[in-house]
Amino acid sequence: MKRGSAGHYLSRGLTWLLLAFLFLPILVVIPVAFTDQDFLSLPQHGLSLKHFVAIGDWSAGWLPSILTSIAVGVLASAAATTLGAAYAVGAWSISGWWPSLTRVMILSPLIVPPIVYAVGIFKLWARFHLLDTFLGVAVVHVVLCLPFVILAMGSTLSNLDPRLVQAARSLGARPATVFLRVIAPNILPGIIASALFAFVTSWDEITVTLFITSRAMVTLPRRIWTSIADSVDPALAAVATLMLVVTIAILVVQACLPHRKPDPSP
Amino acid sequence: MTTFNRWAFALTLPAVLTTLALYVAPITQVLTLSVTDPRPGLGNYEGLMTSNAVAKVAATTLNVSLLTTIFTIAGAYAIAFGLVHMRVGPRRLAMFLVLVPFWVSVLVRAFSWITILRREGVLNSALSSLGLISEPLNLVYNRIGVVIGMVHYMLPFAVLLIFANLSGIDRRIMQAARSLGARPATIFWRIWLPLSVPGLAVASVFVFIYSLGFLITPALLGAGRTVMIAEFISVQMKTLRWGVATALSVLLLLLVALSVLALMRRPALRAAFEGRPDP
Repeated sequence: MKRGSAGHYLSRGLTWLLLAFLFLPILVVIPVAFTDQDFLSLPQHGLSLKHFVAIGDWSAGWLPSILTSIAVGVLASAAATTLGAAYAVGAWSISGWWPSLTRVMILSPLIVPPIVYAVGIFKLWARFHLLDTFLGVAVVHVVLCLPFVILAMGSTLSNLDPRLVQAARSLGARPATVFLRVIAPNILPGIIASALFAFVTSWDEITVTLFITSRAMVTLPRRIWTSIADSVDPALAAVATLMLVVTIAILVVQACLPHRKPDPSP
Repeated sequence: MTTFNRWAFALTLPAVLTTLALYVAPITQVLTLSVTDPRPGLGNYEGLMTSNAVAKVAATTLNVSLLTTIFTIAGAYAIAFGLVHMRVGPRRLAMFLVLVPFWVSVLVRAFSWITILRREGVLNSALSSLGLISEPLNLVYNRIGVVIGMVHYMLPFAVLLIFANLSGIDRRIMQAARSLGARPATIFWRIWLPLSVPGLAVASVFVFIYSLGFLITPALLGAGRTVMIAEFISVQMKTLRWGVATALSVLLLLLVALSVLALMRRPALRAAFEGRPDP
């Protein structure tokens, strides 16, 4: 649209208005977190940090849940990244129907509604007595993180030059050497990105976790869910504020890091 | 098969077996249970067809999903269209405003909307202190609240999908049209919009299928008054009516599969799924 025309200003205004709709509502948790009242409200007489202090109280349950979520996330991310990176490298090295078919299968959790999986895994975990256990949640998170690892690895591998592998093989490198000494160092950034992606996926997972946990395993999203559903505790706003600050900090750091230039060759 | 290929094949196995055992098998069991529990046959599906509650839930689900898709795609297109026309600086800021909500937990976002929209919430207090309303508006725990929350949840995702498509459009076409005397409106309607159709189609189907099976936002912002299919399934699970829960899951799965099949005719999506570069 031509700069300076009415249409140009109208469309630009609409864009920023919609961006405000996207961003501003999330910020509302910040003033609520600093309220001096004991119920969900904006600050009345002054700002207070008591709800942030309340998070640190072990018996309030927030801290154990945060630690649980970190533990599940680290474990699920490590396992999913290992499985996913091995799969992605293997599938990249061979062609034919096998990689195409298995890729669709592993990516299917991105499309299949999580509630359907929740019904299925509930039945399976009930049989193996894994409901409401650490192992049960961690294993489910591995399965749900795998598609994200494969997507992240896929974009890294598409920049890897197959001639590198050909060269190594023609010089007599054994398969293990090719995978560990040639491919692995070249895709390390992708592996790190996958691990982070997987951790965030596990850290945020709620729909399936909701059905396979009850009292013993309370991840952070699970505690937030209960807290929204049955109370008006401002500590929730404090937790939400912390999560928001961490998200923004990570995005800002990432935006400030120097970006690698994309490979110029097609 | 060379030794190298055998090694590569072996590397793919752990992920494939994990997915088969812990994802495909449980979902297959859902299909099986729907025709065997409580007794073999299509009784569960007959039950679904004749139940008034199911009909109401299905109507609500389709209605909310369609509304969400329409508002999300319209809004996302306006944002993405603005983004591709921005200079680098403003675009960075705009992208940041899209990515923050994209990464913030769905629960935090639902909680924000409850804080804003409830009767004693931020919006109602602001409107009444401005004297614009005398009675608080019912903006949440009903269909309006659910649609607002869902559109807000889906927007960043749709913006990213549509933006990727729009940035791939060859801008020399617009330059050519302009130099041949086309007016800005003509360029938009006759060039931008037709070239955006693939991106809009992919984004619409994704938003629609995500909306169909969505649990968290409808459950929290609908609070039992606007019940969509996922929440209904969860209620059936809690009351141990496995036949109904699994049959509904299969129905949901079928709806999603049909939407994806319609989209798979698009080469761009098929390529993304099979891991080939976009043709």
